[in-house]
Amino acid sequence: MHRRLFCAFSAFLTLVLPLSAAPQDDQYILGPDSQEQSGVPKGEVIQMPAWTDSKIYPGTTRDWWIYVPAQYQKGNPAAVMVFCDGAGFVKRDGQFRVPTVFDNLIAKGQMPVTIGIFIQPGMFPNQDPKAKARSNRSFEYDSLGDLHARFLLEEILPAVAKNYTLTTDPEQRAICGNSSGGICAFTVAWERPDAFRKVVSHIGSFTNIRGGYVYPALIRKTDKKPLRVFLQDGKNDLDNQFGNWPLANEDMAAALKFASYDYQFVMGEGTHNGKHGAALLPDTLRWLWRK
Amino acid sequence: MPRFHHTASAFAAVLLSACLVSAQDTSLHEYLIDSEPWKEVVAGYDFTDGLCVDAAGNLFFTDVKSGKGIYKLDAATGKVGLFLDHLPGISGLQIGPDGRFYACHNREQRVIAISMKGDVEVLLTGVKCNDLVVSQAGHLYFTETPTQRIHLITKDKKHLIADEGQVQKPNGITLSSDERTLVVSEHGGKHVWAWRIEVDGSLTAGAPYMTMWLPVGKTTAAGDGATTESKGRYFVTTELGIQVFDATGRLAGIIAKPVADGKVVSCEFAGKEHDILYVAAGDKIFGRKLKVSGYFR
Repeated sequence: MHRRLFCAFSAFLTLVLPLSAAPQDDQYILGPDSQEQSGVPKGEVIQMPAWTDSKIYPGTTRDWWIYVPAQYQKGNPAAVMVFCDGAGFVKRDGQFRVPTVFDNLIAKGQMPVTIGIFIQPGMFPNQDPKAKARSNRSFEYDSLGDLHARFLLEEILPAVAKNYTLTTDPEQRAICGNSSGGICAFTVAWERPDAFRKVVSHIGSFTNIRGGYVYPALIRKTDKKPLRVFLQDGKNDLDNQFGNWPLANEDMAAALKFASYDYQFVMGEGTHNGKHGAALLPDTLRWLWRK
Repeated sequence: MPRFHHTASAFAAVLLSACLVSAQDTSLHEYLIDSEPWKEVVAGYDFTDGLCVDAAGNLFFTDVKSGKGIYKLDAATGKVGLFLDHLPGISGLQIGPDGRFYACHNREQRVIAISMKGDVEVLLTGVKCNDLVVSQAGHLYFTETPTQRIHLITKDKKHLIADEGQVQKPNGITLSSDERTLVVSEHGGKHVWAWRIEVDGSLTAGAPYMTMWLPVGKTTAAGDGATTESKGRYFVTTELGIQVFDATGRLAGIIAKPVADGKVVSCEFAGKEHDILYVAAGDKIFGRKLKVSGYFR
């Protein structure tokens, strides 16, 4: 039923919208749940002090933000949703507009009162201000293993929990990312299903950047984990030395189906671009957070 | 530790990283030339090593086990000959910003500087130096494989142990193309490590930033000599071939060894255009013209 909903939505966009310069991606536009609606309480987006003393990733610094919904009440545990490459999700006039989508869906009761955590990958700055910082993104996001889960659980969530009441229920913790952030989101939940059980991956890099192409095989040969996984990709996504993104996502979806996971897979026509995922996001979140 | 607030630049970085995906992504299929296979350029030695290059693209090398000193492959004439005599047993070599050679004089367990005329200055003794790199700032870093140490001799000749005990048999060593990052290959593991180079030359934030492809059934990649391409890619000799990583640490591909069952232990770009990748492969040195060129010149 939900699958049909997505298909209908995509078909609607394909048929009705005029195609512009980059048709594969530009056919996907934001719907009303991604626009600010009058009368809907607006949550607050707070930029946190840069995270500079990571023990898991020594020497890195990173920007991050949190979103606190208007309905949040101290003492009532809020659900948690983490966004990898958070800068690309947190802006109210950006591609994904997560704070606005959260405002609208929380107000309608279509997702729980959720604190959003938008976190950037680490950078290695240099004492010399002229030096360009080296990115730790691929190391943090493309690597398999529990390092990033531990970073979130041992460093970031406790930092937020100092001032906000966060749930400890893994069913109420979600993580989302695009591209390498997509495989990172999956890896976090795969490694720590006791802590995160909801995953959203857009144009996820389930390819061989740092070994992530093994997931379909692992999913098929591992005890089923209690995860709910949303995957989006586009048939014009990357095909390079690391792998073929559409095939890799097809393979992920087939493995999740084989092992009877609670999953949803949407294959659109886009390239390595967030537009389709952004247009789907309200539907994605309704599916992800459904009871 | 300083705090960095740059929301705007963070957004720019997201956009940039999207663009960089294609720039950094270039696979080795885009910079290998099908009609330019490996060519044997030097033969008749015992164990070639220590490849380095000068501004004109001349390649210098040693014959660690039985050579006399530093040999030169002339970029203009293609001739090979002994350049500096009476320096046997050098395993790592580079020309520093002062125009002198810096060498791991492995046989003498010392690190030395050598003028182009052959005048030797001893910088450090009592170390089993394997390979080295010298930054434009004048800091010299070298690997000491058996002790698992990375040493630093600063530009004012202070000796420090910059890292110890975490790199499995540190071997090949190179710099990022902005010289802010030091890179070391593991001979006894599967990682290529990276550190931030601080202004005083010290190393911080070491991490196993790159992962080498392993031969089937093995737990070590036998990482050896390494160099840097002008756009920041790292070329690391390994048992499987020359493994190439982009500046963000992702394995882009593996260039096959010139002799399938032979070893490659050192690599450097040289030639007039600095676009010939040379590898030390036992008794021989092979060269292969690429579409990309070297950082060191």
